[in-house]
Amino acid sequence: MIRTRLIAAAACGIALTQPVAAQRVANPTVVYAVGAEPAVPLPLFGNNEESNEDVADQLFLHLVVFAPNSHGTADNAFVPSLARAWHRIDPVTLTFDIDPRARWQDGVPVTSRDVIYTWGLANDPTVGLDRSRLDPIASVEAVGERRVRVRFKQPSAEQVYTFGFLMQPLPAHLLEKLSPSAIAASDFARHPIGNGPYRFDHRTPGLAVELHADTAFFLGRPGIARVVVRTTTDATARVNLFLTGETDVLDKIPLPSIPQVTQRAGGRIIALASNRLAYLLINSRSPGDSTQPHPVLGDARVREALAIALDRTTIAHTVFGAASDVPDAAQSQIWSWITGGTIHGAPANPARARALLAQAGWRDANGDGVVERNGTPLRFTLIYAASSAAGNLVALQAQQMWRSIGAEVTLEKLDGGVVGNRVRTGQWDMVFLAANQDPTPSSLVQSWSCKSAHQAGSTNFAHWCDATFDQLVQRALTARDQAAAWRDVLTRMSSQRPAIFIAAPGNPIAVNSRYDNVILWPSHTWLSLWQWRVRPGAALPRDR
Amino acid sequence: MTGWLIRRTADAALTALVAVVLLVILVHLLPGDPLAPILRDRGADPATAAALAARWGTNRTILQSLAALFTGVIHGDLGLSLSAQRPVLDVLADHLGPTLLLGSLTLLIDFTVGLALGVWTALHADLATARWVSALSVVGYTVPSFVVGTVLVWLFAVKLGWLPSGSIADPLLSSSAGTWAILADHLRHLVLPLAALVIATIAVPLRQQRSAVFEVAAQPWVLAARARGVAPARIAWRHCWRPALTPIVTLLGLWLPLLVAGAVFVEVVFNWPGMGLLLAQATIDRDVPVVVAGGALLIVTVQAGSLLADVLYHVVDPRQRPT
Repeated sequence: MIRTRLIAAAACGIALTQPVAAQRVANPTVVYAVGAEPAVPLPLFGNNEESNEDVADQLFLHLVVFAPNSHGTADNAFVPSLARAWHRIDPVTLTFDIDPRARWQDGVPVTSRDVIYTWGLANDPTVGLDRSRLDPIASVEAVGERRVRVRFKQPSAEQVYTFGFLMQPLPAHLLEKLSPSAIAASDFARHPIGNGPYRFDHRTPGLAVELHADTAFFLGRPGIARVVVRTTTDATARVNLFLTGETDVLDKIPLPSIPQVTQRAGGRIIALASNRLAYLLINSRSPGDSTQPHPVLGDARVREALAIALDRTTIAHTVFGAASDVPDAAQSQIWSWITGGTIHGAPANPARARALLAQAGWRDANGDGVVERNGTPLRFTLIYAASSAAGNLVALQAQQMWRSIGAEVTLEKLDGGVVGNRVRTGQWDMVFLAANQDPTPSSLVQSWSCKSAHQAGSTNFAHWCDATFDQLVQRALTARDQAAAWRDVLTRMSSQRPAIFIAAPGNPIAVNSRYDNVILWPSHTWLSLWQWRVRPGAALPRDR
Repeated sequence: MTGWLIRRTADAALTALVAVVLLVILVHLLPGDPLAPILRDRGADPATAAALAARWGTNRTILQSLAALFTGVIHGDLGLSLSAQRPVLDVLADHLGPTLLLGSLTLLIDFTVGLALGVWTALHADLATARWVSALSVVGYTVPSFVVGTVLVWLFAVKLGWLPSGSIADPLLSSSAGTWAILADHLRHLVLPLAALVIATIAVPLRQQRSAVFEVAAQPWVLAARARGVAPARIAWRHCWRPALTPIVTLLGLWLPLLVAGAVFVEVVFNWPGMGLLLAQATIDRDVPVVVAGGALLIVTVQAGSLLADVLYHVVDPRQRPT
């Protein structure tokens, strides 16, 4: 077993070993399992389903992709993919030049028409994309057969990512005649024709999708000839497939299975940075009347006391594994570059928590173990989805730890839909949530800004609004020192405690040792799968 | 008899209709955002949310939903699955085959081997082997099927490597593989889930049959046959078994929906792409069109099973036939 730790901050992707060029294996294969059937493996139409995105990344190129060893989202953090080059015209204008060698797999050249068409689809409400991601873009226009000009509403350090990475063009010549709302259910979605390293070969419903390398791929012949994506809903069943050698890689390894997986001969564990974040969101407004502060949690000192009373390191490691970090703000491991490559939250300090509560007037006057202020006991309810095993474990440990500072927490394990309803209607005190963060820190505005607080349907469930935070975000968008500016943003969030951030979990990935040049990415994990190689001499029967 | 059959069929159809209406109402009342399978953890601006709701019909009233369902049934179009974005009928068809395969083989084994063992253990109750068979079947029934399944996977797939850990077929099997190779592959994948289901279920028909045979064996006509010196095998199958079939027929009718409903835990453990797995996931995902169509199919199957049991009951026991 080779155990490799990828430092989350420094790496969006790292080549573990160098490619072997000399000998060839006839049919190098990668088999991996996903939790849901990749039923619509198209950009824009995949319902935000990871398995759809995974397969779409093999079929459809992004204009740009992350540069090896890069971090952040500045212009220099990307390398060409479908776009051969890009140029900055002024602080709000970029042009992208499409590689003239790029072809759709039916032979038609990829042109700016495809980009404009896809941009139009992205803006169509029936497609269902979260259009807040497109907000920064003012216009997109073709300025030649293979050049597009993108104007942004304001200067930002994330412009290349916002358009170049998020844009995965679809073939206009094949789709223009279809209504946007019909594309996901069309024959094209069942058998997509892309421009990426792989061709869609076939699908066996409920079982697998098989992709074959496009040997004429303009960026080079893929090192893996065949990719088989198996549908396996249950996490334990996915582990079993890896343990029996039926799959070659395994991500999101359940904590109890890590020893078994690491013990398996030929398996190596790569500790990849993850974009996941687990936290307890606090409702600082009264559940009955959102114009009033919450009788208990509306006080910032109470929120602070609750946060520092928790031994979050113990919770994070027991629930999410030893590779988890403990942030003080909304910072998953992919943003660790903001804090110098590491994430360290403040340690637990129950004594200070008790002092903070006392300072705020909370005392146990009647000796029942629960502190009160003006006759109001420090009691609240923590809700979480019954399907969330992590939520259950976090809630139980937090309840125990809060008891030691005189806070009484009632746990309510609810159906996921009920949790959603309660949160949307403001009928909650605290909720356990897990989210996946975008690579760009500016995406914080989707869940934590004053704009999103007043926007119907936003993910700012707590309607959290802090003008200083918003100003710091605006400053960070154009700051020369991106890390320092975003650090200020996170520090401000930490001081206001809109949530108690429990863990920034890692993403341990097991990879069969017969592969070389293994490149993995924290988000869009399998983006560079086509660059992997099977080491000659280590090939399995399925590679021959 | 014909009149009775028509009345009974009409009753079953009416019951199914009422149950489907109730299902639609209950699904409509489910908490949560009906667009959740599409939006997941994303936000949606009001224009996008409205466009999606109109496109997917999640803003329909109960009456509109019922009208859409019955119109869809007439036209053979039950809409699109929100998760798979494919016609619901295609999604159901993909999962029905594996469930029918697993369910029918389970019923076949349960109602052949199980019944035979039930008769044998009843007639040889004094043998230690019979007592062991009976006790083991109860152990199998008591242990949850997913535990049985997990142990089988650990032993035969992970430790011994004799059989695949799950799924219905090997996706790496060459497309040029012959019929026998494909059949062998399916059989290899079928062994463990089938074993898990049979272990978990065979105790019920076995013990039902055993109790029924016990009861019948004490009847005067059996004692008389024994006194006449009729061969034990003939007593077992001719004099005991047929009269003891009545409760088994009822049981068979009740179990028929297993053919369509699937066994959720076994399907999850073995990643068997059947109806149980589909409907459980659709319920979690709030994929309303799949839940309603799948639920309606189950309701119809339950009614059909019940009707079939009633008919068979009359065939097996002539005393119950309507005059």
